[in-house]
Amino acid sequence: MQSGLSVRKIVISGVLGAIAILLGATRLGFIPVPFIVGDATIMHVPAIIGGILEGPIVGAIIGTIFGVFSFLQVGAPMFKDPLISILPRIPIGVTAFLAYAALKKRNEYLALIVSAIVGTFTNTLLVLGMAVLRGYLTPAVAGAIVLPFGSAEAVLAAIIVVAVVSAWKHLESGHGKSRI
Amino acid sequence: MEDFEYLRHVTIGQYLPGSSLVHRMDPRAKMIILFLMAAAVTVNMSYTANIILLVVSVVYVLAARVSLRYILGGVKPVLPFMILLAAMQLLFYGNQFIGPNLQNVVLWKWWIVNVTTGSVQLVVISILRFLQLLLLASLLTNTTTTTELSHGVERLLRPLARIGVPAHELSLVATIALRFVPILAEQLETVAKAQASRGAELAGGGPLHLVQSARRLAVLIVPLFMDAFRRSEDLILAMEARCYLGGKNRTHLIELRYNGIDYAAIAANLVLAVWLIVYRNRFPF
Repeated sequence: MQSGLSVRKIVISGVLGAIAILLGATRLGFIPVPFIVGDATIMHVPAIIGGILEGPIVGAIIGTIFGVFSFLQVGAPMFKDPLISILPRIPIGVTAFLAYAALKKRNEYLALIVSAIVGTFTNTLLVLGMAVLRGYLTPAVAGAIVLPFGSAEAVLAAIIVVAVVSAWKHLESGHGKSRI
Repeated sequence: MEDFEYLRHVTIGQYLPGSSLVHRMDPRAKMIILFLMAAAVTVNMSYTANIILLVVSVVYVLAARVSLRYILGGVKPVLPFMILLAAMQLLFYGNQFIGPNLQNVVLWKWWIVNVTTGSVQLVVISILRFLQLLLLASLLTNTTTTTELSHGVERLLRPLARIGVPAHELSLVATIALRFVPILAEQLETVAKAQASRGAELAGGGPLHLVQSARRLAVLIVPLFMDAFRRSEDLILAMEARCYLGGKNRTHLIELRYNGIDYAAIAANLVLAVWLIVYRNRFPF
């Protein structure tokens, strides 16, 4: 075994990273939300799912891919600042993993929902916090949009995370897929 | 049918073949230069520095013979959002922002609206920064193939391998991610057509229907994830069956080599970036 990452972790990080890129590139990952400037995004969902399925390192790598892509992508000017677009994305998968690991024993579904919410708010709070620190938004504006933005994204993320993870885990046990 | 072509409007990350000096440069050199310039852009808030940086970025794009119009064409879909954000910054950001060596002069005050020289500067600098980074980042992806990029990432991260950063593995992650984007896009198209043929509503719906949007999205996203996982399992199996081992002793078909132009370009950009970063607060306006 090599020192760093297992083949499984490398491949899952890469493929989920590709989904994050795809959601952004096709603008499929953006959902118009009532009364809010801009759209809610679900581009962070692959990072949450990666964290849940393969652990914090995979979550962090996918978050980084998402961040680098949102830096490279044409978007709002504040995302052209790497301190806003890349740095706050790294912990998404990590906090999602921690929430999932803490609640998994109690109830699988509860753990999935909570970890989607925790992962989403990690993203929202850190990005908006960084935007305030770097002078792109006033604390008042950021404070006003954090809750509607965060909760809309958290609802979307929770729906998708539960659907995807439960479908995949069911598939896995149902077909008795080989594991190496 | 064009509703199903999901990757049609993507301009960034597209490699544009060419033989310009920039195309022929070492990918590591290009990445180092992007990093240096991004650092300089990130810390500079003065008009002078940002205009210098914008001119430099435009010169690089022209040197690469990439069309400016092509790069800027990608801005269209996000333009309304950018204008709204700029307007908000202009109208409500008066008090908090004071540029380096600048008195914050009130230009127009009415109720909660407060336009000052500071907020004007913030808006202009945000737009300039956006343009600089857009040009530089697009330039890197437009003149460098994905293979070159992943080799470059690996070589740049190699010194970090000593402190336990898995450089080779991370570059493989990046390669897989970039390789899978078109595969998954095609899959997404198939899923969208399959769902549409069953009568699923894929477009429409206003911003007031969050649950509907989520449901519409789920019929595309969940099958997409399932397919991605299945493909991952296949790839994992294939790689493990071939006893894939990354790391130190792996050799490459293509070895990257810096040449004189790469060194000169890195040195010139290093000097420029350090100068702009050190003197960032001393520009007159």
